Amino acid sequence: MVKTYSRKNRLALLVGAVTFSMMVILAPPTNKAQAQGTLKVGMTLADIPVSFGQPDQGFEGFRFMGLMLYDALINWDMSQGDKPSGLIPGLAESWSVDPSDKTKWVFKLRKNVKFHDGSAFNADAVIFNFDKLLDKNSPQFSARQGSLVNFRIPSIKSYKKIDEYTVEFITHEPDSFVPYQLCYILMASPAQWEKTGKNWNTFAKTPSGTGPWKLETIVPREKAEFVPFKGHWDANRVPKLEKVITIPIPDPNARTAALLSGQVDWIEAPAPDAIPRIKSKGFDVVANAYPHVWSWHLSRVEGSPWNDIRVRKAANLAVDREGIKALLGGYAVPASGHVTPADPWYGSPSFKIKYDPDASKSLLKEAGFSKDNPVKIKAMISASGSGQMLPLPMNEYIQQNLADVGIKVEFEVTEWNALIDLWRGGAKSPQAKGAHVINVSYTTQDPYSSFTRFLRSDLHAPKGVNWGFYNDPKMDELLYAASAAFDPKERNALLAKVHTRAVDDAAFLWVVHDVAPRAMAKKVQGYVQAKNWFQSLTSAYIKE
Amino acid sequence: MSTLSTNSSKNLDAGQIITDSPSYWSSVRSNLKNDPVTIAFALILLSLLLSAIFADLLAPLDPYKTNMLKRLKPIGTEGFLLGADELGRDMLTRLIYGGRLSLLMGISPVVAALLIGGLLGLTAGFVGGKVNMSIMRVMDVFYAFPSVLLAIAISGALGAGIFNAIISLTIVFIPPIARVTESVTTQIRALDYVEAARASGAKSLTIIRVHIISNVAGPVFVYSTSLISVSIILSSGLSFLGLGTEPPQPEWGLMLNTLRQSIYVNPWVAALPGVMIFLTSLSFNMMSDGIRSAMDIKL
Amino acid sequence: MVAYIIRRILYVIPIALGVSVIIFGLVHIAPGDPLNAVVPPDAPKETVELLIKAYGFDKPLPVQYLIWLGKALEGDFGISYATGRTVSDAIASGVVNTLILAVGGIFIGTIMGCLIGALAGYFQGSWIDKLATGFAIAGVSVPHYWLGLVLVIIFSVELNVLPAMGMGPGGSTSWTWDSEHLKHLILPVITLSVIPIGIITRSVRATIAEILTMEFIQTLEAKGLRKGHIFTHVAKNAAPTVLAVSGLQVGYLLGGSILVETVFSWPGTGFLLNDAIFRRDIPLLQGVILVLAMFFVILNLIVDIAQSVIDPRMNRS
Repeated sequence: MVKTYSRKNRLALLVGAVTFSMMVILAPPTNKAQAQGTLKVGMTLADIPVSFGQPDQGFEGFRFMGLMLYDALINWDMSQGDKPSGLIPGLAESWSVDPSDKTKWVFKLRKNVKFHDGSAFNADAVIFNFDKLLDKNSPQFSARQGSLVNFRIPSIKSYKKIDEYTVEFITHEPDSFVPYQLCYILMASPAQWEKTGKNWNTFAKTPSGTGPWKLETIVPREKAEFVPFKGHWDANRVPKLEKVITIPIPDPNARTAALLSGQVDWIEAPAPDAIPRIKSKGFDVVANAYPHVWSWHLSRVEGSPWNDIRVRKAANLAVDREGIKALLGGYAVPASGHVTPADPWYGSPSFKIKYDPDASKSLLKEAGFSKDNPVKIKAMISASGSGQMLPLPMNEYIQQNLADVGIKVEFEVTEWNALIDLWRGGAKSPQAKGAHVINVSYTTQDPYSSFTRFLRSDLHAPKGVNWGFYNDPKMDELLYAASAAFDPKERNALLAKVHTRAVDDAAFLWVVHDVAPRAMAKKVQGYVQAKNWFQSLTSAYIKE
Repeated sequence: MSTLSTNSSKNLDAGQIITDSPSYWSSVRSNLKNDPVTIAFALILLSLLLSAIFADLLAPLDPYKTNMLKRLKPIGTEGFLLGADELGRDMLTRLIYGGRLSLLMGISPVVAALLIGGLLGLTAGFVGGKVNMSIMRVMDVFYAFPSVLLAIAISGALGAGIFNAIISLTIVFIPPIARVTESVTTQIRALDYVEAARASGAKSLTIIRVHIISNVAGPVFVYSTSLISVSIILSSGLSFLGLGTEPPQPEWGLMLNTLRQSIYVNPWVAALPGVMIFLTSLSFNMMSDGIRSAMDIKL
Repeated sequence: MVAYIIRRILYVIPIALGVSVIIFGLVHIAPGDPLNAVVPPDAPKETVELLIKAYGFDKPLPVQYLIWLGKALEGDFGISYATGRTVSDAIASGVVNTLILAVGGIFIGTIMGCLIGALAGYFQGSWIDKLATGFAIAGVSVPHYWLGLVLVIIFSVELNVLPAMGMGPGGSTSWTWDSEHLKHLILPVITLSVIPIGIITRSVRATIAEILTMEFIQTLEAKGLRKGHIFTHVAKNAAPTVLAVSGLQVGYLLGGSILVETVFSWPGTGFLLNDAIFRRDIPLLQGVILVLAMFFVILNLIVDIAQSVIDPRMNRS
């Protein structure tokens, strides 16, 4: 994309390594003492997420960069951890769909909101940010940022400014999921972009949003430092901490070690096996259910053994989910569907998913299979990845469970990014090499991400991620009805029907829901773990 | 990384020994007989090889059988002599089975590189001239990479998998073997009696067969055996990085990688696969050293 | 000798070009779409095509190579696909961090290697020699990533006296040579020094043993020269070998530290390389490998030249 290189960098590299060492040796010592109220967080990422607006690195990028610096028109409620977190007004005070034309949405913007650089937030800023993603001819257009988020707003057809504080969106067809799409579009400051030479990569060094945190320092791969934005429009969300430092530590063991030695105060996803030790050293381990499901996505392409519902049900009954929970140190919830029974979308499936190897064996026998004549399955899995938990041991355990009833699984282990490519390609693509399963864990945060993109027949790969070519006209009908339902109650009832139908059809092999364990020092207080992929650090403080 | 890095092939000194005489071999035999250390390590290697081959008969349990109740049991647990791994599989069983892939991945690249690199070196050394130039300059380019870096770069490009790991290590070992072969061949070719054979009108092929191969084979073979130790460490290292074998196959490097996550629960079980890699690599090194000094080859 | 040095320096050019071709080729034979690293799974097709154009993937490979090479010569390795940050910055900080480890490793390796090797060579055939030789062989046979893990188990998990990972409080940005940071250096440096110790011990032992049997030393001894003088002579004669071996080891440590850096989460080039491989970040991957390989090429050159200057007698045909 836009390329600027300071002469210094080039020279620096050429001057050679010895000089670097000297620079390092001669660098003035910095203050090591931890300031009161500084929180150091060890992330699972290998690098600091990009800071120029739309973050990379999936939802952890949103958690530890995007939603810290920026707000969206609609925000997630991260203030409580008792019930599932829903959408709340963000930079838009209210929004509504035109009763006569359900493709037209009107957003009333919040007044008196300032960006970190002091400039004002208004309708022009909203248009600027959407042009950045969607209008190739705008000077601020960024294909990179668009690629990171445009797939989350498939319904948006056009948008325009009505007045200083009103914006209108037009969708391709009536779609009640629009708020769940717009909550991912973050608002960056147009004034700051001008000031940083109209270059997003430069902007990334001194970004400006309206979020509760300002970026103070960013050292790629090493750390990012955030300080509170005292002028945040919501007084309740002005951070209590003096500073947050995020540090990428991809290796679970290294994260544990960093926590135990006091290098960080908080780690994401400690190695399950290390949790007892972390607790015994006086650290807190918190966890809370959030909309996540770890499953096997099944191929329904012609010739796939999964086309027999008995085989699908048998697999669901063969997996010892309690065993997997034990493998995860207890930090998981066995899944009995795509969402948990407490979810308004769960419905009332009649197929009860549990560990019942005998029932599984007899189903397989009916289908003509046994341990001596097993079903043969090829599964594509990854060795790591965001939300994948412990993919290798979990899959190996499931492999053994399935072998016990008469399903023989062979793995193709691919690197996480390659797996994502295979996922996008669909089960029919030549790269899939006839695999019958892909193991990618999913968010169930919003209806489109939870159901539509996997189950609607017009979203077959490569158009959507209906990887397995699931095709059920009745399901399509239900999904369209749900997205056309603007009354939340009615929509939830329809989504419950969608889920009931999916479970009774054993559309996936569901395994567990993650509970996102986090370990932190006792001095970290005030943090509320929302039932969400996203979390807020604004309420946390350090009590020495 | 170890033997490769001494870069000693430059100072090769093999021209002094002539290996195709019967008295030479009998002295090698007697040298080996009087070297108990080499014999001891050869026996260790033999038992590692045999236990890998006959793993089905030796291993107490099924290497794939998981048991969540037994997961990460310490060394000495009843029924699990060396403890259990993160899925409750018997460590002793998996260590025995692990030898199969680890040895295969360690030895086969050297064998393949010996064939390819040996042929290249022999051609370069015997033909000489432009052919020598072009072969050896290409080798120089590959030699410009540190071996670990080259192995990881090739494996990273090709993707994980046993076959890809073997290919990448083969490429790593071809240049050093080709260099040694070329250098020995050139020296032997220059020897008086080879020159004499040439002058007497014997055909080139005969010269190669009779004199060169029989004299080159010894030093090149000894050099190659010393590479096996490096190869074992590197191939397990690739698996350790997630670029070699794939689960659930038992392989020492991969076992080390997955068990690393459990060092806060059961540290010493996590260290076991590394002991096997160490023992194997040490045995190959000791044996190679023993053979080298028995054959009186200076590399 | 001057002619040799010039020839040797000129020879670096074709080697460097060959290296760059191999690196470029390697990265481009890799299976999978290079854009995976950049684009999320369900990004629309047209965005993907836009990015392909923006990154120049639509151009023929030789053109892509020449563009890359031209920029690399200016020290510009492009922008990381994944993060939009300049690759040269990432490499620069990675190289510094790796050098801290490598220099530490070679420092300990050379001192220990010379010491043990000299003892073994001097007392050739004695139990000291056997012990030292055994130690040296063990050093080159040990899988160092495993050794690092064992050290972590002993000193971090069991005894809890040394940190298990990272560079210390401030990362590399505020690295200082104080005890807090040096603590973080101990385990990785010991782990890295084991191979050089083994190799240097071996070659020092062999060199010393050989020199001691040489006629001129025996003559010196016969002349009744003091031990100190003989030592100076021996050291002078052994120096080129030690220099060559240690110099090359620095190069191997630079490339070889990838596994050790993974064990200790040390933010150096190895860590960077690992990351680049698993994210398929092509500019980063090419840049890191090229810089490391070039370091190695240049080290080789320096060692060769230094050797020929110190010891002009060496045959260099």
